[in-house]
Amino acid sequence: MAAPSVSVCVEAAIENPIQEVRYDGQEIHVTPLSMSENLSKLAHKINFFKDESEEKGKPTSEGERETDEEKVLAPFQPSLWPWDSVRNKLKSALTEISVLYDVLNIVKEKHYMVTDPVSQEAPELKAPLQMIAKKKSLVIVCKILNTGADRLKDIQAEMGSNTPDNFLWELLQLRKHWRLKKVQNTILGELSYKSAGSRFWQGGTFEVLKMSDLAAEGEATNKKSSLDVSIPSELEGVAYIQVEVKSVPDLMDLTSATLKMPASLGAVPPDAYWQQKLETAHNVLFCKELFAQLAREAVQVKGTTPHMVVGNQILTNVFPGIQLSIVLCHYTGKEKKVNLSPPKLDHNHVLEHSLHQLLRKEHSNNLNTSPPHPANAMLGMSKRRRLAGPQAHSRQDLIQMAHSESMLVQILKQTKHAVLRLRSMHVIDQLASSLQDPLICAHWSCLNNSLESSVRVSITSYCYETNRTPLILIIGIDTIRVVVREGRTCVLSFEENELRDFLQWQICQHHVQSVQSLAKLHGWQVLSATVSSGHGDIEPYGTTATVMLASPKGNIRNDITYDPVDKALMFHLQTAWRRAKIPSTHTHNMSENKQTVSAHSKCKQQIAAIQENANKRPVHELWDSSSHGLSGANAPKRPKH
Amino acid sequence: MGVSCVFSYPVPEGLSGAQVVEVLQKQVETLGGIKAGTFLVDCETYQSVMLNTPKTLHILHNSEHPASCFAILDSGATLVADTLFNGLMSNLKNYYQARKGAKIESKGQRFQLSDFVLKIGSVSLAGSMKGVLVEVEYCPSVIAGDCWNLLKELLQSLKINVADPPRSLKPKMDEIYTPAVTMLQYLDHFNSFRTAAAMSQPPR
Repeated sequence: MAAPSVSVCVEAAIENPIQEVRYDGQEIHVTPLSMSENLSKLAHKINFFKDESEEKGKPTSEGERETDEEKVLAPFQPSLWPWDSVRNKLKSALTEISVLYDVLNIVKEKHYMVTDPVSQEAPELKAPLQMIAKKKSLVIVCKILNTGADRLKDIQAEMGSNTPDNFLWELLQLRKHWRLKKVQNTILGELSYKSAGSRFWQGGTFEVLKMSDLAAEGEATNKKSSLDVSIPSELEGVAYIQVEVKSVPDLMDLTSATLKMPASLGAVPPDAYWQQKLETAHNVLFCKELFAQLAREAVQVKGTTPHMVVGNQILTNVFPGIQLSIVLCHYTGKEKKVNLSPPKLDHNHVLEHSLHQLLRKEHSNNLNTSPPHPANAMLGMSKRRRLAGPQAHSRQDLIQMAHSESMLVQILKQTKHAVLRLRSMHVIDQLASSLQDPLICAHWSCLNNSLESSVRVSITSYCYETNRTPLILIIGIDTIRVVVREGRTCVLSFEENELRDFLQWQICQHHVQSVQSLAKLHGWQVLSATVSSGHGDIEPYGTTATVMLASPKGNIRNDITYDPVDKALMFHLQTAWRRAKIPSTHTHNMSENKQTVSAHSKCKQQIAAIQENANKRPVHELWDSSSHGLSGANAPKRPKH
Repeated sequence: MGVSCVFSYPVPEGLSGAQVVEVLQKQVETLGGIKAGTFLVDCETYQSVMLNTPKTLHILHNSEHPASCFAILDSGATLVADTLFNGLMSNLKNYYQARKGAKIESKGQRFQLSDFVLKIGSVSLAGSMKGVLVEVEYCPSVIAGDCWNLLKELLQSLKINVADPPRSLKPKMDEIYTPAVTMLQYLDHFNSFRTAAAMSQPPR
């Protein structure tokens, strides 16, 4: 292929690296090594290693080598100058390695030599020096412990001592809890509730005394503090308010109130801590105020119920036969010990607590007037009263707003509710435990207050819980409101019997209702169901419920009446003068006041039996137009089946 | 709160106001009304001093609403306030001055007739008797339009024949009734009595 010839220039790459490029562009190459130099450079790169098999012949081989090398070196002495370093290095490496090898052999083989640890010389034990050192360290430790112990001792001493510093410290503690003021030389404190809103005439001022230091340590009395308080005489002792609700058989018992002797309550020992003394006196004042207010209200009452205030006792009738007594028991320790068997204390703690709360509420109402607090208008009006003007409330509304209840009335209401609630509980529980046939279940609501509670009573039959009669009783202050299943409400009074009668009536209704549902299950047709039927005698309470059933074949009619008073479940079978054939046990039923074990199941059995009987007889014999039975209605003509 | 209508009973010639009042009272009693205390409605007028167009402010009180005070302007705007408003007026005496001799009041007996409250008051301006105002209130209702006919019937039995509701009640027949409307009615009557009294006086 002879193309027009292109000159191709083949050049070797630059073999010598450029050492320097001068400023004028001249390149200076590194001078290439001569042959001998190159060789020595390569020889330097060789890695000589020792061969293990030549151990014995080592020295000789080394010598040989040496001689060899020397031989080699001798004639080429000047030109082998670069090898000298190599040779030296090799020699030293060999020496090192042979030594290492020897050592290893000795350690491993233990043929001719063994390695033995070199025992070191024990350091010199200088006993005195050691003792001194230990002593010094112990002294330091002792010093630290001593300072700590000293500090604790000081604190302990401070706590127990009756120094003037202690008095000040106690005074500081006293000031944290009570209001103190300095009058000339004495320090007086305030025990009354005036700063909390009380308007009681009696104030309590106590005096703070400094106990002089009892130097003699042999003194038996061990004063715990250097501060003592002296309580005014009328607040000495221990007091409490006892509220009791008891049933009295006689209404006239109000006049037979006896002065109650407080039970043996420990008096405050004279060397009690000042805080305890002050707190007890504070409580005495509170109880006194509470009782004074209640007594004042009891005397000023203009209502119908009279209250009796005798000495330290207030008696009032809650319900006929139930009495509420509020006693102020103040035991000062100065009464002569009368060996009366202490009457069984029946505190009603809930009401006592309520009384305390009521008084505290009054106190706080005295202080905390509701906002706004105008400069020109009256303080203490509720928001509603303040808005009465702009909203143009009538006189009636204003009168109602101004009406407020006294403490006695409030506690009386609470007592009434408590009594009523207990009574209702008792009635329901009694009924529930005495009756097995319909099961009565009461669920008391947890949301209640001191004036209202509610309970949900459900009457069910055993195994037929879907058929349930629910009742809701809302227990108020002196009435009970009942909400029946259909939503009707009745209001019952506080009489126990009324509630019992009402529940009995509901039970009757429930029975008839369950018979009705049971009959439906069996295929009986319900002709009519009346809650309050008119036939029969008038009962003193409740109404008779009736249900009229017809058998599936239409040949038997069954009227079931449940009379709540006599609890008689009578049913009249209208089977046209075959009644005698039907066993008497079926018709004569529960005319006594005893409840049967399970009227319901008996009913069921009887219905079944009647059906059986009916199935056995020819129809035309059973049916007759002249009807028997008390229903009085003419039997409707049915076609023969 | 009920619906009230206030009517002026014309005093026939020859009879004094007191006699008319007595007659009315007897009529109410024969209807079955029971006396239930007295009532008082009074009105004071204040005049603004600073402005070019003098504004009038009437302050009314009603014993039926003892905690309230009613302030009515000429334009008909009413304010129902607390009784402290009277004190406020004394503070405003630089701006609103009381018109002398303009205090007018209606005072009399209050009768309760089951759901109705009837008030027969004799109006006196500066001590002299000017007329008789009868107020009928039907308590259960709150809308005037619903019970207007009932009130009309009751008034007819008292021999008061009215065709229309009072002027200030007419626009409010379908709204919920407030005591301020009663006061507006009273003010209307008081103003008419005042103008009648001013006209009867010979100009000096």
